[in-house]
Amino acid sequence: MVTRRLPRLPFPLSAPTVPEGLETPAGRPRSGADYDTAWARRYPARLARAALVEAVGRPVVAALADPRREGLDRLDPLRRDGEPVIFAANHHSHLDTPVLLTSIPEPWRHTLFAGAAADYFFRTPVTSALAALAINAVPIERTKVSRRSADRLAELIDAGWSLLIFPEGGRSPDGWGQPFRGGAAYLAVRCGVPVVPVHIEGTGRILRKGRTLPRPASTRVTFGSPLRPAPDHDARRFGVVVEQAVAALADEAATDWWQARRRAHAGATPTLTGPDAPGWRRAWALGDPSRRRRRQRRRWPEL
Amino acid sequence: MKALVFSRQPARYAAAVVAGNLRPGRGARYGPLSLRDVDPPEPPTAEWVRVRPRLAGICGSDLATIDGRSSRWFESVVSFPFTPGHEIVGDTDDGRRVVVIPVLHCATRGVDPPCTMCRDGRVNRCERVAFGHLEPGLQCGFCESTGGGWSHEMVAHPTQLVDVPDELTDGQAVLIEPTACAVHAARSVGDGAVAVIGAGALGLLTIAALRAMATLRGPLIAAAKHPEQVRWAKELGADVVCAPGELERAVRSTTSSLVLGNGQLTGGIDAVVDCVGSEASIAQAVRCVAPGGTVHLVGMPGVTSVDLTPVWQREVALRGTYAYEVPTPSDRVGVTPTDDFAAAVDLVRRLDLGRLVSATYPLARYQEAVAHAAEAGARGAVKIAFDLRSDRERTRR
Amino acid sequence: MPRPGFVLDVDRSTPPILFHHGESFRLEKLPAGRSRVLYPGEPLQALRDPDGAIRHALDHPLGDSEPLRALLRPGMRLTICFDDISLPLPPMRAPDVRQRIIEAVLDLAAEAGVDDVHLIAALALHRRMTEAELRHAVGDRVYDAFAPDGLLYNHDAEDPGNLAFLGTTPDGEEVEINKRAAESDLIVYVNINMVAMDGGHKSTATGLASYRSLRHHHNVQTMRRSTSFMDRHSSELHSSNWRMGKVVRDAGVKIFQIETTLNNDTFGTSGPMSVLQKREWEWSPRDRATFVAMKAGLDRMPLKARRKIFQSWRAPYGLTSVQAGEVEAVHEVTTGNVFRQQLVELEGQTDILTMGLPYICPYNVNSVMNPILVMCLGLGYFFNMYRGRPPVREGGVVIMSHPTTWEFHPVHHPSYIDFFEQVLSETTDPVEIEARFEKSFAEDEWYRHLYRTSYAYHGVHPFYMWYWGCHGLAYTGKVIIVGGDKAAVRRLGFSAASTLPDALEMAQDVVGRDATITHLHNPPLVMADVK
Repeated sequence: MVTRRLPRLPFPLSAPTVPEGLETPAGRPRSGADYDTAWARRYPARLARAALVEAVGRPVVAALADPRREGLDRLDPLRRDGEPVIFAANHHSHLDTPVLLTSIPEPWRHTLFAGAAADYFFRTPVTSALAALAINAVPIERTKVSRRSADRLAELIDAGWSLLIFPEGGRSPDGWGQPFRGGAAYLAVRCGVPVVPVHIEGTGRILRKGRTLPRPASTRVTFGSPLRPAPDHDARRFGVVVEQAVAALADEAATDWWQARRRAHAGATPTLTGPDAPGWRRAWALGDPSRRRRRQRRRWPEL
Repeated sequence: MKALVFSRQPARYAAAVVAGNLRPGRGARYGPLSLRDVDPPEPPTAEWVRVRPRLAGICGSDLATIDGRSSRWFESVVSFPFTPGHEIVGDTDDGRRVVVIPVLHCATRGVDPPCTMCRDGRVNRCERVAFGHLEPGLQCGFCESTGGGWSHEMVAHPTQLVDVPDELTDGQAVLIEPTACAVHAARSVGDGAVAVIGAGALGLLTIAALRAMATLRGPLIAAAKHPEQVRWAKELGADVVCAPGELERAVRSTTSSLVLGNGQLTGGIDAVVDCVGSEASIAQAVRCVAPGGTVHLVGMPGVTSVDLTPVWQREVALRGTYAYEVPTPSDRVGVTPTDDFAAAVDLVRRLDLGRLVSATYPLARYQEAVAHAAEAGARGAVKIAFDLRSDRERTRR
Repeated sequence: MPRPGFVLDVDRSTPPILFHHGESFRLEKLPAGRSRVLYPGEPLQALRDPDGAIRHALDHPLGDSEPLRALLRPGMRLTICFDDISLPLPPMRAPDVRQRIIEAVLDLAAEAGVDDVHLIAALALHRRMTEAELRHAVGDRVYDAFAPDGLLYNHDAEDPGNLAFLGTTPDGEEVEINKRAAESDLIVYVNINMVAMDGGHKSTATGLASYRSLRHHHNVQTMRRSTSFMDRHSSELHSSNWRMGKVVRDAGVKIFQIETTLNNDTFGTSGPMSVLQKREWEWSPRDRATFVAMKAGLDRMPLKARRKIFQSWRAPYGLTSVQAGEVEAVHEVTTGNVFRQQLVELEGQTDILTMGLPYICPYNVNSVMNPILVMCLGLGYFFNMYRGRPPVREGGVVIMSHPTTWEFHPVHHPSYIDFFEQVLSETTDPVEIEARFEKSFAEDEWYRHLYRTSYAYHGVHPFYMWYWGCHGLAYTGKVIIVGGDKAAVRRLGFSAASTLPDALEMAQDVVGRDATITHLHNPPLVMADVK
């Protein structure tokens, strides 16, 4: 085999070699939990992200998920004050983030940052950069309890950025929800901002955990009334309130608002985590996965 | 003598058709109608008498002929060249003032024994209109042998003459013949509610006849287009007068009927009298009539295209009304003949219908006369007549 | 700080005044030295937290009433009635105030465990509301929760099985209302008080009534003695309704009344349409350019397109007050709030009253304004926007500006077409119309069918439109419509003029030369308090 050797370019056109016995200092990490995402919040990156979301994200989401957005009027009281907001949603699919990015209205849509799992999204430099650019992701440590992630998030919220976070911590493995973790509630209490519970229904059918090819279906995004922690609420109790709110929204989406309110007041809202039964019975209780449902276009007499 | 003559000239007839379509009444100028110097007609037998017309009215059928709108059905019952004019009041040689019954039935044609229709007094249904010693002709305004009203001299059979009472003016007398048509139409209408479509001369006289003769149990609705017509319709006895486009709604509310999807009424009015005879009016009449009712075609229709499905589904009768019935010498003994003319004379006298003569013209201005008659409604007129009493111009009475 | 309304005396430096002219606008110069223009106040500040205010009102009722929370218990029959599409005008931006209140009430009901809830649109003899209109009024959440099960519906005044006769007032007026409402344990009425005529006992006694009840106060005699029906204390209409309200109360029907008032921010204080609400001498160059462009565009558009644009406008009304509890106590506070926004003091009367009529009245939302509605809006509503005495003297002239096209919506207003063709062509005298024609229209089976199954106003409704203006008809000497279709205006019995100067010229025959003029400037609504 003939090997052609590429001509070696001299330093400084090529990288230097390190003398023996010396060590180079560690540069800024280009992946992982300490990846610095501040560049993604400067104007050029923000412009690029806005263009990406509107020009690419919207049509793709509309084609794949055809989302029906309900409850946007509940966000009206928040518009007056102009403070940042934490959006807490349930998590079934990677599609949740694009759906939410295109559903959350102004003025929060373009001042939004998402908390993303450090061990998944920030594994390599390429995925880190893409995540930071596309969804303004900020790494969160899932496995270790770390104050640094929390501080980073709190700093950004105090600076006026709204947070999109999935309190479950990861996508649902089997179609039912996982118990909510305390991050969102903790930040709400610490920074004094409201939490808007959001329920996303249907993305699990499109691209659930483990699959690669999406199957288009219709989805529904339901926004709930903003929640503020009561004076005597600590992060844990507030977290329970948030979880119950999302469960009530799930009930509202599944049946109707009135029945959901009645069950909520009676304490009978069905939980997001599903029945306490193993294996097939949990899957059985999920119900029929309906195929692509053409959402009924609203048609009533035009008189 | 001077007379208006309608001759057989196909080219001019075609021109009349075109001109008449562009503007009603223009056929008088471009068509085969012309003012000529002709010899007066010869009496076919010794019985026939001369009549010198004083006033001769212009009828809707005359206008249709002049504008080339009459049906080919008439080809066999008309003989060219003829002088139009069948609404005539004139003088005879022995000084009587008479109105002429224009129908040329068996008695006038010398047909003996008379046909069954004439024997029953139904001269309007005479079966011998093209036979006998006269040329073919339904009436004396369409027959070569007899002459017609639009001239200074014509001939008539004694059975055609009706004396005019002295108290009637010429204007009133000239309306006797059209009133007789209206009376004949009114007799065939029942006593329920009636709607009359069209408020020209024939329509208004029909309204008057209906009000006078029939004891109507329901309202009399008239559809009139022009303000003068509306005024006349109200005066002559219509209960409700509406615009032509509003007739369906007026019928709906007076008969309390419901409406189906296409705007069709579920009920309707028992009798509809169509005094216009156009496609639109017949279609409207069929739309307004109640199930089992009758649509009376009084105005002469032409060749029209009508959807007969509602007629079939709702068991509606379409009934034509032509001319009138008068007593004839061959009437059956013991049967009281219907005398529409006598009733017409009575009606004209009672209601002073001579007021409906809006204007008269001398023969020389026949083109203006025909144009005025064709646009009578829009110009606030009802009946236009030729004044043959002198050559002096007569203004509106 | 919103400025209050005031009276402008027109002088030579006054710019031309904006007149509403149906689906368009005109700028008219009023004669200097003898005209005055009544300008409404600027929109009052809306409540900062409407949902909180509503919750507060429900927990702190006025008058002899317990808080709503205490009135709700499991197993009860609850009926929530709300005002129909004739309020507010133009329709307001989502979320509608009715949606906010109904959701708050239902939340309390859910907490108390109430299962049997019906929601009824209290529309009396108005047309049924379509799905889109109901969704706009109560919101999608409530609609989707109740309508599919038939628990949210329109009141049907011609359904014999769903009417309850409650009794007669001492004056012999029969009181008959919706049966489900009458037999409920509690009626919660959600009202929007756009003008002082609305609300109070009228909500239930008229809104849920049938023809049998309504004819006792919707008649010529009552309307002639309502001078005006915007002032409850001078209105026979309201006296009758109050008597009926007492019968309803004595029959054991419990009503928790929730009344709201809105500011008059019809076209916004910022944005392209805000120029219409500004005082003419305060129009900035941008406003003027916007107006010129708008007028040019509108004039070139066909009527249908213009109508569509205007009918789709949603007003950014703000909630200025909400009060709940016992009917009469609540209504006192509500009328005070309505007057706070709309009432402007006026000294004395003039010879002529002018007004520009808008494209919308309570009876042609998403529809066509026919000539009868023009008369009702002008001589009925606008003429009666006064307290004390009318701004024009008796025998004076009223001049209205509206295109008055001879056009009717065939689905919404079928009985209006017959009324215009058959009744008005015979007579325009309200007394004669009432005597000769009202019964046959009220009992016509076809109109009844259309009212119950289609989206049509009841057969007798055009008569009510005519009666609404009968006080104006009797009071004024002449009515002139500027810029209207001549045949239609004449059918109404009025005079037609092409321009305002021509109309003022025509008015000279009645009021003489140098007549004084009052102009009601609208948009938005204004009410004259004449001393």
